[in-house]
Amino acid sequence: MHRALGLLASAIIVGAAIAACRPMGDVGYVEIKTVPAAPLTQTTLYLDSTKLAPIKKGSAILRQRVGTRKLQADGFAGTLAPLCDIVVKKNRITTVTISVLERPPRCQCRYSGTDAATEHACVS
Amino acid sequence: MMKSLPVVFARSPIAAALVAALLVLSGSFARAEDSGSAASPVEEFSKQLEDFQKSVPDLNKTIQDSAGTIDSITDVEKARAEIDKLRESVSTLLGAVSDNGPVSQLGAKALDHIHDKLRTLSQETRFKPEERQYLIGQWRKLQVETESATKELDDARAQFVGLLQILQENEDFIGELLEIRQAEKAIEVIRSLTRDIRDASTQLNKLIGGIKPPGA
Repeated sequence: MHRALGLLASAIIVGAAIAACRPMGDVGYVEIKTVPAAPLTQTTLYLDSTKLAPIKKGSAILRQRVGTRKLQADGFAGTLAPLCDIVVKKNRITTVTISVLERPPRCQCRYSGTDAATEHACVS
Repeated sequence: MMKSLPVVFARSPIAAALVAALLVLSGSFARAEDSGSAASPVEEFSKQLEDFQKSVPDLNKTIQDSAGTIDSITDVEKARAEIDKLRESVSTLLGAVSDNGPVSQLGAKALDHIHDKLRTLSQETRFKPEERQYLIGQWRKLQVETESATKELDDARAQFVGLLQILQENEDFIGELLEIRQAEKAIEVIRSLTRDIRDASTQLNKLIGGIKPPGA
């Protein structure tokens, strides 16, 4: 009896863990490249308000929910300096290159939007 | 001297009966032989008609199925759906190995743990110097192996990124290739259908050829 209850509890915990790990909704990817490529990028970057881990060897691929994200960098006096908008589409990669030598860093989109809504945004 | 047969039969009624019986039996054997060697034209026609009638519904079904198949394989949306499916598969794999994906984070965690262990061991006073050196050596070995495994992960990530980018940048061309593949499948279906129709036509010709009016 105790054994069966134990098994049931384990199954519920494992199921809940799997459900928690599953990404919610549609996802796409943001590829961030930094130039010049360094073993570890010193500039701190943010996607919306989420701080990104330092970018290793000049490239990172990040899974993101579908939508438009704001790429930002640490600015003056603790404020965030917006660099560019990134449009994330389902199962697609949007690539952006950041020139980290400039102050503030500059965004260079692989593809830029063509319509009014995404004119200054990076698209896939 | 030879005696004539009527004279013999008149004199011996038993012999006459035997001859008559022989004649009747031989006639019925001959008829039986005829029916065994070849079916009558009516029977032959019935058999061919039955075979043909049996094959017609099958052929109709094949035609309908083939039309459905061709409809579905010339559907451009289906080619698009195939690319989407392919992209989804690669995306799922990329999701696991992306920098913020679960597998990459596991690798990073494992490396962090090793670094912590090495830092702690270097300040550890519980062990003799040779014991400490041995433990540090073991953890360094683990560090090299973990780094090598995460390097493989980096390669896999780069590969999936490359694949997904190829898929999205050559979407139109890949779509066209898929449409060509579908068109080739359509040709196969048409060929198979043509074969079936030709067979039915041969059967019908045989049936018509088998109709012979009496005296023709």
